[in-house]
Amino acid sequence: MAAHATDENLQQGEIAKPNTAWIWKTFFILVGITAVEFVFVFLMEPSTLRNSIFIVLTIMKAFFIVAEFMHLKHETKGLIWTILVPMSLLVWLLVALVTEGSYVGEVLQNMFK
Amino acid sequence: MSQPTTLQPPAASATQDAPRTGTWDGGNEPFKASYGKLMMWFFLLSDAFTFAAFLTTYGLIRHKHEVFVGKAEEFVFSTRWWPVPDKVFNAFPGLHGMDVPLGFVALMTMILILSSVTMVLAVEAGHRMDKNDVQKWLLWTILFGTTFLLSQAWEWSHFIHGSEKGMLMADGTTFFGANLAVNEYGPVLFADLFFFITGFHGTHVLSGVCLLVWCFIATSNGTFHKRGHYEMIEKIGLYWHFVDLVWVFVFTFFYLV
Repeated sequence: MAAHATDENLQQGEIAKPNTAWIWKTFFILVGITAVEFVFVFLMEPSTLRNSIFIVLTIMKAFFIVAEFMHLKHETKGLIWTILVPMSLLVWLLVALVTEGSYVGEVLQNMFK
Repeated sequence: MSQPTTLQPPAASATQDAPRTGTWDGGNEPFKASYGKLMMWFFLLSDAFTFAAFLTTYGLIRHKHEVFVGKAEEFVFSTRWWPVPDKVFNAFPGLHGMDVPLGFVALMTMILILSSVTMVLAVEAGHRMDKNDVQKWLLWTILFGTTFLLSQAWEWSHFIHGSEKGMLMADGTTFFGANLAVNEYGPVLFADLFFFITGFHGTHVLSGVCLLVWCFIATSNGTFHKRGHYEMIEKIGLYWHFVDLVWVFVFTFFYLV
């Protein structure tokens, strides 16, 4: 079995050295951003500003996962736009429905006042 | 069909035409990506829409409810207002009765990010046709993925069984924990959304682990080596990173905000 494996490797030629520095770099960036998020959870009172900070940090994390780990940064421009453009619909959906939620809440809470 | 169609070259033609190389003559890879990878991207796009719908629903329902105003120390669970996440998710296995706000979920996040890293390492090993390294990193990814699932099972169990204090009901009894109709943490929909969103994500992780186990078996059998490339690992890897990506958003919108 071991001899067979060696034969296979010889057929394929030498195995190249791993190139993993960029993977670990991305990993430490992701861990760093998560750590920053925790600093904000415990050192800052809840507010719209804090939530905005969280959303920005989350989008940064998403960028590193999609661009580096999922390799989208190195794909053709057409593929990048095909994935990113439909996402703008989600931004609209989120803004529209969160606004709607606040309005419904306001109506319900003031209904019997 | 006695007449030859125009698409087939006449059989008797003595000289072969030069191969056609136009955009629509076949042989092209749109976006320079293989069919499988492209379809995985489109599937993930549609899956992103599903998860976004879940999280948007969370946003809408949360904004519909009242916000607790006051000091964090004075916060109590009530069906009147939306619970503060670090008061709900403050338990850690083995540290009974201690207040560890978001400690366990931080650990789970780390585990999932690490599993993403080992996944990229497996893909990288596949590019080098290094079968042993692919096996090693796939095993690590399966290990981290399973650990995440078990952690989620513990978190669910704790959420369902509830705190020792419980909630006093209108009929004088005390209710502990949560189900789809009642929960001691806050409005009914809070627990419902917790079960649906983390459950849907957990199901994705479970499917991912199954796919990875299959990949590991195929790698061990030399299926990809004989094929000459490890693209299947890349496609499953895309899915796995997507699951990690979703968790990043669930983590922010469910546990931090």
